[in-house]
Amino acid sequence: MTATTAAQVAARPTPPSHVKRDIAILATLAIIAWAFLTIDVRLDRLIDLPERLWSLFQRMFLPPDWSYIEVALPAMVASIQMAWIGTLIGAVLSLPLGFFGAKNISSGPVSNAVRVFLNAIRAFPEVVLAVVVFVPIAGLGPVAGALAIGIHSIGTLGKLTAEAIESIDSGPVEAARATGAPTLAVQRWGVLPQVLPEIVAFWLYRFEINLRAAAVLGIVGAGGIGAVLSNTLSYRRFDKAGLAIIVVVIATILIDQISGYVRRRIIEGSDRKAIQAEVFGEPGPDRAGR
Amino acid sequence: MIRFEKASVTYPGGVHALRDITLQIPDGQMMVIVGLSGAGKSTLIRTINGLVQPTSGDVTIDGRSIRHARGRELREIRGRIGMIFQTFNLVKRTTVLNNVLMGRLHATPSWRSVIGRYRADDVEIAMQALERVGIVDKAYVRASNLSGGQQQRVGIARALAQQPKILLADEPVASLDPPTSHVVMRDLQRINRELGITTIVNLHFLDLAKVYGERIIGLRGGELVYDGTAAHADENVFRDIYGRSLTADDVLEPVPAV
Amino acid sequence: MTAATPAVQRPPRPKRSLAVPAGLLGAILITLWAASEQFGIGFDIAAILEDLSKGSLILTEVLQPNFAFFPRTIEPMIETIQMAIIAATIGCAIALPAGFLASRVTAPGRISLAVTRSILNVIRALPDLLYAMVFVTALSIGPLAGILALIFFNIGVGAKLLSETVDAVDRGPIEAADAAGSTHVQMVRTGVFPQVLPNYVAFSLYVFELNIRASTVIGIVGAGGIGNTLNAQMGFFNFNNVGLIILELFILVFVIELISIQLRRRLT
Repeated sequence: MTATTAAQVAARPTPPSHVKRDIAILATLAIIAWAFLTIDVRLDRLIDLPERLWSLFQRMFLPPDWSYIEVALPAMVASIQMAWIGTLIGAVLSLPLGFFGAKNISSGPVSNAVRVFLNAIRAFPEVVLAVVVFVPIAGLGPVAGALAIGIHSIGTLGKLTAEAIESIDSGPVEAARATGAPTLAVQRWGVLPQVLPEIVAFWLYRFEINLRAAAVLGIVGAGGIGAVLSNTLSYRRFDKAGLAIIVVVIATILIDQISGYVRRRIIEGSDRKAIQAEVFGEPGPDRAGR
Repeated sequence: MIRFEKASVTYPGGVHALRDITLQIPDGQMMVIVGLSGAGKSTLIRTINGLVQPTSGDVTIDGRSIRHARGRELREIRGRIGMIFQTFNLVKRTTVLNNVLMGRLHATPSWRSVIGRYRADDVEIAMQALERVGIVDKAYVRASNLSGGQQQRVGIARALAQQPKILLADEPVASLDPPTSHVVMRDLQRINRELGITTIVNLHFLDLAKVYGERIIGLRGGELVYDGTAAHADENVFRDIYGRSLTADDVLEPVPAV
Repeated sequence: MTAATPAVQRPPRPKRSLAVPAGLLGAILITLWAASEQFGIGFDIAAILEDLSKGSLILTEVLQPNFAFFPRTIEPMIETIQMAIIAATIGCAIALPAGFLASRVTAPGRISLAVTRSILNVIRALPDLLYAMVFVTALSIGPLAGILALIFFNIGVGAKLLSETVDAVDRGPIEAADAAGSTHVQMVRTGVFPQVLPNYVAFSLYVFELNIRASTVIGIVGAGGIGNTLNAQMGFFNFNNVGLIILELFILVFVIELISIQLRRRLT
């Protein structure tokens, strides 16, 4: 290492300061610390936690009640059906809403109104929708669950659809308009082919999420595997609950794999795009060429 | 001294990327490798630091075999070999200095890297490397904000920060315009002469090869077909290496036909 | 004189891919099966449309929030926020190494990759509410069960998001780090992590938002937060209060999204 002259050192730039960034980091850390310190939780419970979890684990899985599959499997199927119908409802209804919510297709005020409406729907947890609206309509059971899942999905799917439409290449649309085609035809031939693969990928991803929602809704009365889980845990039939959990895990993983495979076949990297879109509310980076 | 002893590389698909290369590169030499795309230039250069392993034969550096080096030994060997790339391979989101400091990783304990605190000595070495390529004023600039030529100089600084004995350059100027290409090649030449670092450069452009290469070797189909000085490498030699007539794409600055 | 152009053979019409019509047919069949009375859930659109008005009875109550109920929601809301923060912090901290282990770009070996991915698949397969039920059973009701449930949920989501991002990074810096003699950990830290940091921050904030939404649900089984209150009010048929809670959640999520946009900009 050669010796450096004082002049050399003086000519070097100084590290820049990042005041805003540091403040943001400190603020975040402060909030996190507040949460940890002020929560009202009995820490002594944490000490016997491992033991209690292990004991529960043993009663659930070592061994599970294999014969209970007669009950668990049909229930799981019902949950899958619930999720499927729900996703279908959400997909069908969100498609036109997505078009209306896209700023480049429909006019400003209309698209804004639609977006607010979609956000409002998203705010309603499925559980509340189910209990408040759909159980009165359809009674307890998977139909109410499917409806709740469907209507809730409209919120997210509508938003993603609108954003996908907003990011399309306007060339084909202009070309279609220039031929004098009526508006609906422009949508069908100019817009739809570009966005359909991505939208279908969103639908499939939503189906995966809705499967979990279906299991959850079962706990509040929508039947299916959720009801089985709830009953077995409430009545402390842990070996049966263990089996139900195994059924849920296997079925969910299977469906995730199949759905993921189909999605990847529909578009390259669709996993990432769907997730990116879900998280950032925008179609993935490849779309915008960033 | 770098020695190739009947080194061959055959990729899993059956592609013979290198065939029986036997070669000696003395310390401090500036050697240029020319050849068509796919002739094996990239493969040859990557067998030196083990990014590609020879499937038969051996490559040794000062007697130490690359082929059998693993883990810590391999990392030690690589630590002494700097490499620059056609696409620069910088971390775009972070500063120039952080990129150059990657050259000090081989001498930095993992825990320091994880928390991002390099030793002061290492930062000093990085700064000096930046000074040597004349770009220290950009030390805290985000790498993506630099021009192509500047990014490549950062790449060179990163390699220099390793305090290497060997410098590998895989098509370092293929993405740059002619004036910038000359600047970068001159930098490499200067480093080779001033610091005595063995420099091995893959070049696509024959005019650059003639100007900057002390010794030129030509590869064709994975085989060594020429090994000589720049003075002896005329158009006929290049035609041999390329197996075809030369085109304007083969030189950086085509001289227009009169 | 123009030479006669040789007759150009029209290319044969490409075989229409069967994938799309097959997929569509499959989807229709599944729908019919799923909706049928005998094999499925018995979805009868006509009956639903008939009873549609019944749904609006309660809904109108919900859409008229009872603001007087607000003071009783403050403490549970704060608890929800605390739970969400704690679970997101711990969950995302664990998801960071887990995500790197689960990506073929940064996994140290094929075995650890397969193992990590399998474990994460299992973790992700269970809905948050199920974790909540299990932890409530093991620990009795209260926010601790909720936090633990959310942590598992967060690890599942966060690690998946991170591994997908890592799968897509620019491999150039990785090659450079390897060529410079770095260890595996150093390569990940200097070559990959800077590339994924902005996404990681965004995911973490997203996960935090998910926790707030999830709190309504896990409250049903007694795992703490505003969900308990929501559940209770639904049980008492106080739907005006339910409406207030939903409104509060809506506003809260909206505010969080605003803050997270700001934070994302400043932190990266």
